[in-house]
Parts: sequence; C-alpha cells; structure tokens
Amino acid sequence: MRTRLGVSALAVGIIVAICVISYGVIAGQVPTPRSATTPPPARSPQIKRQASGKPDFSGVWQANNTANWDLVTHEAMAARVMQTGAHGLSPVPAAPVLALGAVGGVPPGLGVVEGNVIPYKPEALQKKKDNFDHWLDRDPEIKCYQPGVPRAMYMPYPFQILQGTNKIMMVFEYANAQRTIHLDQVEPYPNDSWMGHSVGRWEGDTLVVDVTSQIDKTWFDRAGDFHSDALHVVERYRMMTPDAIWYEATIEDPNVFTRPWSIAMPIYRRLEPNAQLMDYRCIEMVEELLYGHLRKQPLVRTWEGQNMTVSVERRIPPPDVLYER
Amino acid sequence: MRTTARSLMCLCAVVAAVTLAIAWEGTTVAAQQRAAAAAKGPRTAWGAPDLQGVWNTNTQVPLERAREYGTRAMMTEAEHAKALADLQARNQRPGRDSREIAGKSGVGTEKDVARAYNEFWFGDKPTRLSYRTSMIVDPPDGRMPAYTPEAARRIADKRDFLAALLQGTSGGRPGPISPRRAERSPDYNLDRINRSDNPEDRGGPERCFGDNLPVTMGTGTFGGVMQIVQSPDSVSIYYDVGQGQGFAWVIPITNRPHLPKSVQMYHGDAIGRWEGDTLVVDVTNFSDETNFRGSRENLHLIQRFRRADANTLQVEFTAEDPTTWTRPWTAMQELERADDKTTLVLEGGCHEGNYGLLGMLLNTRAAEKAFAEGKGPDPATQDNATGGGAEN
Repeated sequence: MRTRLGVSALAVGIIVAICVISYGVIAGQVPTPRSATTPPPARSPQIKRQASGKPDFSGVWQANNTANWDLVTHEAMAARVMQTGAHGLSPVPAAPVLALGAVGGVPPGLGVVEGNVIPYKPEALQKKKDNFDHWLDRDPEIKCYQPGVPRAMYMPYPFQILQGTNKIMMVFEYANAQRTIHLDQVEPYPNDSWMGHSVGRWEGDTLVVDVTSQIDKTWFDRAGDFHSDALHVVERYRMMTPDAIWYEATIEDPNVFTRPWSIAMPIYRRLEPNAQLMDYRCIEMVEELLYGHLRKQPLVRTWEGQNMTVSVERRIPPPDVLYER
Repeated sequence: MRTTARSLMCLCAVVAAVTLAIAWEGTTVAAQQRAAAAAKGPRTAWGAPDLQGVWNTNTQVPLERAREYGTRAMMTEAEHAKALADLQARNQRPGRDSREIAGKSGVGTEKDVARAYNEFWFGDKPTRLSYRTSMIVDPPDGRMPAYTPEAARRIADKRDFLAALLQGTSGGRPGPISPRRAERSPDYNLDRINRSDNPEDRGGPERCFGDNLPVTMGTGTFGGVMQIVQSPDSVSIYYDVGQGQGFAWVIPITNRPHLPKSVQMYHGDAIGRWEGDTLVVDVTNFSDETNFRGSRENLHLIQRFRRADANTLQVEFTAEDPTTWTRPWTAMQELERADDKTTLVLEGGCHEGNYGLLGMLLNTRAAEKAFAEGKGPDPATQDNATGGGAEN
C-alpha cells in the first residue's frame, strides 16, 4: 500500500513536471519583463526556435565592441580629432573635443575585419584618410543620418529583432532607423536608400541576408571607412548560444575595394528583465549643429568653463556641402 | 478499485499540473496568447492572432461626421450615391493646379509659392467612399468632444500668436508688423508659423517631426501605409506617412508597468496585450513636443488592432486627456490588405537632406540682408505660412 502510494506520488510528480515543461514549450513561453531588479529566471541552454524549426532571433540585442570607432585593430587615442603637439610631436586633442578629457577619448579595440586589413584601392585609401582627418565635418553619424548596413548592427545602442512569418523587422534605437528583411519574394527596390534593401534566406540554421540598394552616403565607422553606391553586403546570422548571435558580413564594392572583405563579431542579447528600446531622437539634438549658423541671433558663441573658454565661430557652407558629404 | 484510485490520482495530478501551469504562466505572454488562441482569426505559428502584412486604404472616410448625419454611423444607399457623385465632381476640379487664390489667378503670389506642391504630388485621387459617415464612433454624434476651458484657452492663445505673426502680410489682418514677432511661442511650436528666425519656428513636419501617433490613414501619396511584423513577444509597426516621415513603433507584449512619468517619448510608451483576436495597446508617456489635436504630454491612447476578415484590419483608438478634452473619444478605421510582395514600404529619409528647413532659414537670412541693404521687402511683411493650408 505504502509502495503503491509512493509510486502514485512519483507519478503525480512526473506528470506535473511533464505538464509544466510541455506547457511552457508548447506555448512558446516568453518571460514577462518586470523591473530592472527582478531576478530573471535561469536561461535555458537551448536556443529558441520558431514553429518552423528555424532559430528565433527575436529580442533586444547590442554589440559590445569598438567596431563603430574603427573596424580594424586600433589603440586608444586621446580624441578622434587631434592637432599637432609640441615640437611637432605628441599630438593633443583639438579644440572641439579638448574639454571632454578622458570622456572624449577613443577606446582601444581588437579589429573585427578578417586579416585586419580593409583592401582599399589606392585612391579610395586616400579618401578614407581624408575622411578620418575631417571626421567632425563628414561622419553621417554626427548628423543623425540613418547608419546603413552593416554599421547599424554594431552601433553603441540596442536594437530589436522581430522575426515574423515572411519578414524580419529590425528596429534601431539610434535615430529610430529600421530595416525589413524580406524572407519572401518581393519586387526589386526602386531606388537607393539609407538602410538598403534586405532579402533573407535560410542556410540550415544560418540566416543569410543579401543587402543592396544602399546610398553612397553612409560610413562603416568613425574612422572614415566608406563605400560607394555599388555596395553589396551579405550578412550571416547564426545563434552561438541562446543569448549571442555570431554575426558575419561580407562587403563587396568594386568601386572602392580591390576584393570582397568581411567582418565578424558576436552580438549579445540584452538580458535585463526590462530590456526595451527607448528614444534616441537625434534629429532634434543635431539641429543646433546643422542649422545653428542660420539663426537670426546665434545662440552658441562661446562656452565658459573654469579652466577654459571655447569660442565657436560659425561658417556658412554651401547647402550641398552641408548635406552631401 | 485500485485502478480507479490510480486514475483518480492521475486526474488529480493533471488537474494540479494544469492549475500549477496556469498559476505559473498566469503573468506571461504565453498565457495571453493561449487565451487568444481560443478566438478564431488567423494565427501565427506560435498561436498569436496574426496581424502581419502591409495595410493601407484607398477609401475616404472623414474623421468627423457631417452634422446632417446626426448620430448615424452609416450612410443610406441614396446618401452614399450622392456623396460619391460629390467626390467624383471634386476630383474633376484642378485643385492646386488652377494656381488660383480666392477665385483669381494666384500665379507668382506669396501663397502660390508657399503651396509648394502641385496636384501631381498628392497621388491618385480617391474613387472609393466608405459608408461610414465618420471615423469617430464615440461620441455618438461622430464629432470630437469639446475642449476643456484650459485647452480652449491654450489653443486660442496659440491662434492669437499665429495671427499676430501674419499681421500686416497678405495672409493676415491689416495692421503694422506686430511686436509679438519677437515673442516665444506660447507652446512648443509644431505649427506652420510666419517666422523663420530659428529652426524651432518651423513646423513639425518641416523639421521631420511629422510622425505623431495615432496615425489615421488617408488616401493618395500622403495617406500612409503601414507594415506589421510580429514576434512572439512584440509587435512592430512601420508607418510610412508620406513626405519621408516614416517611423518604426515597437509594441512589447508585456504586463510591465509604464515607464516613470518623467520619461517622455515621441511615440509614447506602448504596452500591448492580446484580448481574444485583438491587440490592445496602452500608450502613455507622450512628449510635450507631440501634438495630437491639442493634446500633448498628457495624451493617453488605447489602440486596438483586429483582423475583421482576411483582407481587412480594423484599427481603433480611444484618446483621452482630461487636460484637453471634456471626455474620451474613439475613432475607427478599416484598412485594406496590400500585396506585400509588390507593395514595398519604403524607408523615411526626411532628415537626411532636409533642404526645405535649410532653405527657409538660409533664404530668410538672405532676404533680411537684402532688406537691410535696401534691395528688397522686409521679410516680416511677407506671408510664408498660409499658402499650403487647406483653403485650396
């Protein structure tokens, strides 16, 4: 009798366990985000999959590297904008970033480029160097322009992937940029755009995305790495763990590079229980930068700190220069 | 007997398991989706109501109801036939292409220039008319509720300010140039005002802020199109609302509380849940830099999205703001499914290359300089605000 009860109790336990587990699996349970300090449940070692059996990349993600500063291996710099130092040596931060001190520095980082070399054609390499020297004038990120692909994927802001039935939408906190990856057959894109036209397909568990129709005005990083409108990017997304994507992108642009080259990096899930995108509406933030010189009465002329006064002298570049760089 | 006991045990176990599972899942999205699965519309592979696709409308419905319809939400056949004939007659008019201002040739006038667009840019004229007499379904007269005294004062103050900036121009009342031209706007300005001293003087759409919620879809080029993509824990809507003013709006399916009131977001803080076939989205935390018909940071929206049938998405919003309206009000719209293979929803790119804003500021500075040198009129005497309005 006792044995029988014991067996029954065990049966109850097993059935309860099976019911609970299978319920969670069947329902595709999603933990409800709560406050920032609510301890999340333990993570399953299994990657999430959709009913089709394909990995589910849905979630809030962010790269954690310095690729947006420079795709290749780079040491730290006191500032992205430097000027000649004493005796022509030891460059020092230039005026627009000097007051920022250690906060305005460039963090060092290991490169994400295969072979650590971007194979520029000679004349293109010159333009890249020029871009680097004129970073403040030219980097589209500074003007809050949509970042393009692949740069959107490793900017220092979170982004969210929504993996739907025939489309995958990616929404980026920076500038509210977005891209749609078409998993179905769609018409060709009618023109160039900032985030390009993305068409995806599965190779086993890897999502392969072909990105075309990108405008020539986006960059790859804050080091002046650029491309033309012949840019063709092939991205590969593969789950390394439930909480990390191994991201690879092959970059082809015969106008600028001598051969295709590729980058690779992990992109991490934002594990905060309350992870979500917020607003980074930089359009309004950059109005003073872009249009301040066209005010009837200029607002920003100088900045007075305890240790220095920074004076601002505005120039009025021709409109095409303001926008076309 | 023994068997019966064992069966009973098993039954208890199942009941316990289900109870446990429900308790365990009670607060999760899965539970909501399971509840949703009990309803009948199309489902995603993971069991949620499937709202995905590209949606727009080619059918005209006014937001507010013409008073002649009273409390009737739908037209009779005769009324519809007449309204359709009126629409077709309206479509025959040359509209802006007439270049007329108040019945006279306006070619070369300030208003003609300020109109900026000719008819081409407004796209195909609508040929279909809904039987719905208005998008507003509540209040029962189909019209927006009255403003609160506070909001009415706020709106009147702004109207006075706009009029003052136009005083003495072709589009304003007669009189000298108003000293109010030097004043700050009584609200965070998003209107088209007759001043270009600063970028903040220009209207929201000119600054690429024309992407407020809620979006009501119209017909033609500036009517808008939306694409919905769902994942198990979120729904995303990409709205293309014309003139490059597109935006992505992510709705997490969650029961978390709203963000602290101190956090203002342009598209609000959205929290979604499934109620049967319907996605219900509660949106708060709007910004004082958004303006939905007089309501700013205190706007509270409850949006509902539901598949009425295979090719129809019913979209509804209830707007409430006790600092603006005397009661909440609700509007409803039926959107049509577009072929998502041939209808690509194109990205907005309003800010990237915003020559309009740049030109307004640059040209006004140039005009001021010319005036100072005795080479042209005082820009303060010119009307750059009223020509693009609804009067044509």
